Amino acid sequence: MSNDVLALLILGFPAAGALLLAGRGWRMPRLVTQIVGPGVVWAAFIVTLVLFFGGANGDFTYWTWIKSGSFSLPVNLLVDNLSLFMCLVITGVGGLIVTYSVGYMAHEDGPSYSRFFTYMDVFIFSMLLLVLAGNFVFLIIGWAMVGLSSYFLIGFWYHRRSAVLAARKAFVMNVIGDVGMILAAFVLFWQFHDLTYARVFSSVGKSDSGILELAAFLLLVGAVAKSAQIPLHTWLPDAMEGPTPVSALIHAATMVTAGVYLVARMHPIYDVATYAHDTVAIIGAVTALFAATIAIVQTDIKRVLAYSTMSQIGYMFLAVGIGAYSAGLFHLLSHAFFKALLFMAAGNVIHAMNDEQDMRKYGGLWGQMRPTSITFLIGCLSLVGVIPFVGFFSKEQILGLAFSRPGNLGLAVWAIGFVTALITGFYTGRMWWLSFWGKPSPDRPVAHPHEAPPVMLVPVAILAVLAVAGGFIQTRALGIGPSLVSGYLDRVTGGTGWEDTGVAVVLGLVTMLLAAGLFAGALRMRPWSARFPWAQRILEHKYYFDEAYDAAFVRPMDLAAGRGYRDVEELVIGGSLDRTGARTSWFAGYASLLQTGYFRNYALVFVAGAVIVAVLLVARFAT
Amino acid sequence: MLDIGGSQLDTSWFLLLGAILFALGTAGVLVRRNPLIILISIELMLNAVNLTLIAFSRQLENLEGQLFALMTMTVAAAEAVVGLAILVDIFRVRDLEDVDDLSEYKG
Repeated sequence: MSNDVLALLILGFPAAGALLLAGRGWRMPRLVTQIVGPGVVWAAFIVTLVLFFGGANGDFTYWTWIKSGSFSLPVNLLVDNLSLFMCLVITGVGGLIVTYSVGYMAHEDGPSYSRFFTYMDVFIFSMLLLVLAGNFVFLIIGWAMVGLSSYFLIGFWYHRRSAVLAARKAFVMNVIGDVGMILAAFVLFWQFHDLTYARVFSSVGKSDSGILELAAFLLLVGAVAKSAQIPLHTWLPDAMEGPTPVSALIHAATMVTAGVYLVARMHPIYDVATYAHDTVAIIGAVTALFAATIAIVQTDIKRVLAYSTMSQIGYMFLAVGIGAYSAGLFHLLSHAFFKALLFMAAGNVIHAMNDEQDMRKYGGLWGQMRPTSITFLIGCLSLVGVIPFVGFFSKEQILGLAFSRPGNLGLAVWAIGFVTALITGFYTGRMWWLSFWGKPSPDRPVAHPHEAPPVMLVPVAILAVLAVAGGFIQTRALGIGPSLVSGYLDRVTGGTGWEDTGVAVVLGLVTMLLAAGLFAGALRMRPWSARFPWAQRILEHKYYFDEAYDAAFVRPMDLAAGRGYRDVEELVIGGSLDRTGARTSWFAGYASLLQTGYFRNYALVFVAGAVIVAVLLVARFAT
Repeated sequence: MLDIGGSQLDTSWFLLLGAILFALGTAGVLVRRNPLIILISIELMLNAVNLTLIAFSRQLENLEGQLFALMTMTVAAAEAVVGLAILVDIFRVRDLEDVDDLSEYKG
């Protein structure tokens, strides 16, 4: 089969699976759902592998969708190293997570069970559409559809009020981003009269940089909302209301990293729009630090992971923001490995603990859930960035490139990234020791927890192997060995333009040692909150972002809507209609008195009229 | 001046008679409630018009007026046929005292 058909098949498998499960899933035996749900993702993975090893590359146009005057919009898929890389992450990690869901969601009844896999396949389809799109229109369609499937999945347990509210919050925040994306597309269309990547990017050089800055900032709004960066980040921690595989797939491995993909894909624009580009790096660095500090005080294991996700995506933004695209995307890959691993291992724990998510009520799981504990530890060490785990190579590469970058910006974001790496070591250690070490907490809901079934352990184990060995495909952080990822991606995004200095390598090792020390030291560290109660309070309130947004937007909106309902809707709009109706019927009541039904009345009026006409005629001719 | 059987008579007398007959007919239609009387009153009005037409026809020595009178008589006959048929039908299905009993279509 030719490459263009294969590219369509990548999208076709998940779409077909979603349609089948949506239409017939609840009537078919569970086994069918269990095979179709993950099966179509694996099928897409195999097709992606065929394209990957076939070295596929091209902008495949299938047909012209819209043609109007000089404007035409094709249906085209862009298959290049960047989109294939993303497809591998989405279908590979996605396949593992959807397979894991077969076990994790086993308690759901039939209709809910197939509904879950329908949503998951819809998500996979949308995400693949997002990365394969060859023009801005399909990018935005995919962009909005991943937001929609995220909404469905966060609110999957719709009988829980908190889940519904979290889903709504996520949707509203994402729509803010969608609006930014659409406006960006308008600006680009206004400037270039075209919406395909190929033609927009090829004419970027001839354009006014002010317009490109505007477009780049608007695109950044979309990226920031989708990737939960400051200031549109508040939805991600709440999104943990969804089932854990959803958190692993959408809110850790794939969807939230779409912003990083976007900046990398739009690199011709960001390379020119330097202010917007620097803003990406600054937002990333600030979010990395900000989220890491909040993670210190969280007690819900999934929320710690959510804040650490925000923090790690901050690193990716930092990397693509300073122009180290392949480094950011490598961290995207490694984060997909170890964060999906952490979420799924945490899911095993949550399952064993009867859905208790408070880490303070765990403790002592090391002895009782050994396989899960080992995989979780691997995830933690990778997150902290310990040699030789994949997180070390990706994170140290980002920090090294930031440190070595000419100019002050690189140094500034490096400093923030350095501090964040240390904090990461601390909160990860806190999470690990609190959950798995020591004696079981007296409040623990289950005294003798059961290890998860194989369907939930094998995907976790595979990710653990990847988290251990995955780093060796790109050991650039140490300055030796292969650099397969950057070698592959630089063909699309261009090289980084500068090299790590020797000092950066040493600093990277120092950072790793300090972070690892904090990870280990978290076990013995005395509670610091007693000395800084105000700091504890600020962090527990997440820097009061939710409160501020509530006061600045939600409550004024509520108030305005309430006033609008009472004073405008009911009084003016409804009132005017009511009064018009009342007046008409009042008038008609009187008018209907003329209609007596007596023939002689009508005849009298007729005669009177005739007489008047006659008199007038006579008067006229008499003179 | 018209020549009626040898004696001369002013045309305005005929017109006056026509007007009086028409007014009588109109008054009959307006004030009487018996459907038969109303029909007769309508005939009276039509014939008053006929009289006027013929009077003018004679004075102007033009036969068109008489032709028109013939036409009116035909229409009057048809009208009487239809009107009486309706009346007979109504009498058949309900007990009718006067036309006010047929006023249920009022607003």
